[in-house]
Amino acid sequence: MEEQDKLKILKELLFTEEHEFADSIAQKIEDLTKIVHQKKELSHKVDPIIDDKLQQFVLEIPKTLGPTITEALREEIKNSQDAVVEALFPIIGKMIKKYIAHEMKLLSENISRKTKKAFSFKKWFRRTKAKAQGVSDGDLAINDYAKPRLIQMFVIEKNSGILLADYSPLSEDTIDKEMIAGMLTAIKSFVEDAFHGGDQNLELIEYELYTIHIQNFYSYYVAAVISGAYNMMFKEVLEDQIIDFAKNNISSKDLKDSILFTKKLKKYFADEIV
Amino acid sequence: MKLSKKVVLLGHFGVGKTSLFRRFIDNEFSEEYKVTLGVQIKKKTVQLPDGRELSMIIWDTEGHSNSIEDTRKSYLLGSHAFIYVFDVTRPETYRTLNQDLEYLKENYTKVPAKILGNKLDLVNEKEISNHLTSQNIYFDCLASAKTNKNVQDFFSDLAKEITK
Repeated sequence: MEEQDKLKILKELLFTEEHEFADSIAQKIEDLTKIVHQKKELSHKVDPIIDDKLQQFVLEIPKTLGPTITEALREEIKNSQDAVVEALFPIIGKMIKKYIAHEMKLLSENISRKTKKAFSFKKWFRRTKAKAQGVSDGDLAINDYAKPRLIQMFVIEKNSGILLADYSPLSEDTIDKEMIAGMLTAIKSFVEDAFHGGDQNLELIEYELYTIHIQNFYSYYVAAVISGAYNMMFKEVLEDQIIDFAKNNISSKDLKDSILFTKKLKKYFADEIV
Repeated sequence: MKLSKKVVLLGHFGVGKTSLFRRFIDNEFSEEYKVTLGVQIKKKTVQLPDGRELSMIIWDTEGHSNSIEDTRKSYLLGSHAFIYVFDVTRPETYRTLNQDLEYLKENYTKVPAKILGNKLDLVNEKEISNHLTSQNIYFDCLASAKTNKNVQDFFSDLAKEITK
């Protein structure tokens, strides 16, 4: 036996334990390599730890990141108020609409309850009318309050936008009617021009609580500003009244005499329309 | 009897129609240039020499870039007078003046058109007057909305003319 072989045998005898330890480490490394490279295996081992950490993170967010996020949002809202309002407007609008509908229902029920308790001929008449129409007398009472009312009436020369006559049952008279007549005509001309409607005319402008009813005649048009619930029934009555007024009261002479025209308009529309 | 007349300001963009409008109605002037979109309408009550009052309803239309035919026709209907404004410092704003006037005469036969050269404060009156005449450019008035030179007189004369 040569020297080298003897040394080898001695090494084996002396380092048996270390060899076994080294082999076991190599095996563990191999197992770990398998786990790391196989997604499923890794996920099986790591997921519970991540879940724990995430849960902890979620619980800690309000304490750690909360103030920073709140501050950042506050700053962002402050810097872009218009964009925020623009984004929230439709949502808030829907919420308000729902809320109002709900409140109106409650109000209607409340009125119905109270009117059932009290008695008067007017109420009896309304109750009978409500029954006949198939609605609650609460709804009918609300309708009475939201009744359409004439606020202002303008008679305007069609092309020039010159105000020929005007009438308002209200005592306050602060608006510049001639400028309104001009602007209404400009808006009307613009709409009629812009959409290539041929001989079609603008007939209605709605804004929040008011409606502008527009009725066209050959050389002039009538614009009636209405508050309250402008409905088909009211529209028909108003249209008939304006046609009657035009037919029976307006001559070509009146179109040239705004004072006389205004007097006639005032006299005719002094009474409530519906 | 109440008198009301519609007067329309016309002309290329940036000639100072809105400045003239504001100077005449509110006696204000601003160096800031804001393009007019569509039309703006204001009223000024003018006392006529015979004691009557005239409501001048002024329509300040948005400027055109090529020809007056670009102006929305419905804004011109029913007018009692047109004021064609040009900028004395920008020849491109009066180069089409004669054709534009021809167009107005053909389509709005009975409506008088007055021509006003604005921004007189930026040029020598005599020189520009001679220059325009040599270019065959007719005008009724040279004025400055900035200094108010000739503005009030121009509108007063127009008021008299359209109520004759």
